Amino acid sequence: MNDVILVQRTVPGSKERDNIRKLAELKELAFAAGYNVLDSIVQQHHPDRRYHVGKGKAEEIAGHVAELYPSKVIFLNPLTITQIYNLSELCQCEVIDKFQLILEIFATRATTSRSKLQVELAKLEYELPRARKLVSLLKQEERPGFMGMGGYEDSYEQDLKKRISRIRKELKNTIRSSATRRESRHEQGFSLISLAGYTNAGKSTLFNTLVSENVESMDMLFTTLSPTTRSININGRRAMLTDTVGFIEDLPHFLVDAFRSTLEDVFLSDIILLVVDASDPIDVMRKKLAVSHDIFWKQLENAVIITVFNKVDLVSPADLEAKINALRYLCPNPVIVSAKESIALDKLKETIYSNLPEWKRFTISLPNSDKGMSVLSWLMEQGIVHSTDYGDTITLDVEASDSVVEKAKKFVQNLLED
Amino acid sequence: MLDTIIAVDISGRHYENDRYFMVSAAVALSYSEGNIRGIEGIHVIPFSSTKPPEITDVVHMIEESVEGIGIKGTVVAERGDMFNQPEDMVKQMFRVDFKYPESMAEKLGIEFAHHVSLSSRNLLMKQEVRES
Repeated sequence: MNDVILVQRTVPGSKERDNIRKLAELKELAFAAGYNVLDSIVQQHHPDRRYHVGKGKAEEIAGHVAELYPSKVIFLNPLTITQIYNLSELCQCEVIDKFQLILEIFATRATTSRSKLQVELAKLEYELPRARKLVSLLKQEERPGFMGMGGYEDSYEQDLKKRISRIRKELKNTIRSSATRRESRHEQGFSLISLAGYTNAGKSTLFNTLVSENVESMDMLFTTLSPTTRSININGRRAMLTDTVGFIEDLPHFLVDAFRSTLEDVFLSDIILLVVDASDPIDVMRKKLAVSHDIFWKQLENAVIITVFNKVDLVSPADLEAKINALRYLCPNPVIVSAKESIALDKLKETIYSNLPEWKRFTISLPNSDKGMSVLSWLMEQGIVHSTDYGDTITLDVEASDSVVEKAKKFVQNLLED
Repeated sequence: MLDTIIAVDISGRHYENDRYFMVSAAVALSYSEGNIRGIEGIHVIPFSSTKPPEITDVVHMIEESVEGIGIKGTVVAERGDMFNQPEDMVKQMFRVDFKYPESMAEKLGIEFAHHVSLSSRNLLMKQEVRES
């Protein structure tokens, strides 16, 4: 019962390659949601108010539904509630659009309480503008409410609004706690690195390779929904690497809003590894990079972007060079790797290391006492101790962040004053 | 290697005081690896019309302000400025290389041009009031 028919309405004069790519992406999304695509129907047409596609095409879709018995018809284009209602009536089958499909995928993948709340918020945000129309459409056939006096038209909308504000409040608390967590990680000497990029670019595979772990990664869209964070060591510097949800073209604003707390893990990082699938055709790569830049626009706080061209084992070197040259304006700090084949990961680590927030190298003398030893162990945790010379005093050659240097100097001053 | 883009923005495409008083600002920016490295030049031109601007008028205003800079580079303007027409169609209307913004550097360039055109228009309007 998981068969579906896909429908795409293309704008007259639009690029055919783009339309083909968008339909292929919808197919992958349907696959990610666990559907089996029976057929896909495309029409070049200006949007129709009643059926979105032309009336004749809508009847053709109904004919296909009667013949193939799919459980759903999925439209690539966003549908109004009236169009969904009319199409469902005509086809006698559930009709959804791409955004509802994305919400379905998110709902099945949400595992943490935060992602469950985010999915619920996204669903409610999607439903809200449609609520009033939906009730009035249903009222055409029967009058709801006690004795058919209606009355819950507004209350349904009010109910949605109340639920939205309740979830927002709950999410705000989780955002606050994750912001505090980030600050404390910075204080503990951890730099923050995030993996970002279009969905199915290989972020989770790169994450697994870098941290030598086994986070679920599949050849499927939206495998990662909740951010996973692990600690890694980059040439002695400790960092937190976060794997996050992938981006997608035309990501609806309510979904971006709902997943803001997840995306904030990316926005507030020190370094963003923008992962790109190098095996994609050049115009697809360009589109995907532009989508990523669009999402980053005005959101980043001093983050350095490193563009990681992944899956290079699937591309010839000449082809890759041509792609990087053509996309140079969208690719800050390009590095080419293959996460699956572990190609050029050292080069990636070097680039990460050279872009980490600057640490100062300084020499400090500590009293050779219990208190001095506790400062030494604290410095070993917070920074990199290059050399230790034990004598009457302990002389250290340390590399650490500004705040750690200040703290250490103040601590030594206090010890001497005592 | 540094690339050059010329970000253009037009302010005042609305009817006000019996006319459309528009200011087109072109800002030439050098950038590499997605980051703006410097501002190479700015050129601002005012236009006045009694009729609302059409896409050909917009193309004319952009080209004229770009020519004034005297620096070669890809012209970047917002999709909305070009009546949301497809990029391929708009490209053919220009004598110079044209594209819509994609990277953050290009978007930042347009934001810069927007502030230049808006503040220049405000200044010119104030000047007019003072002179009259």
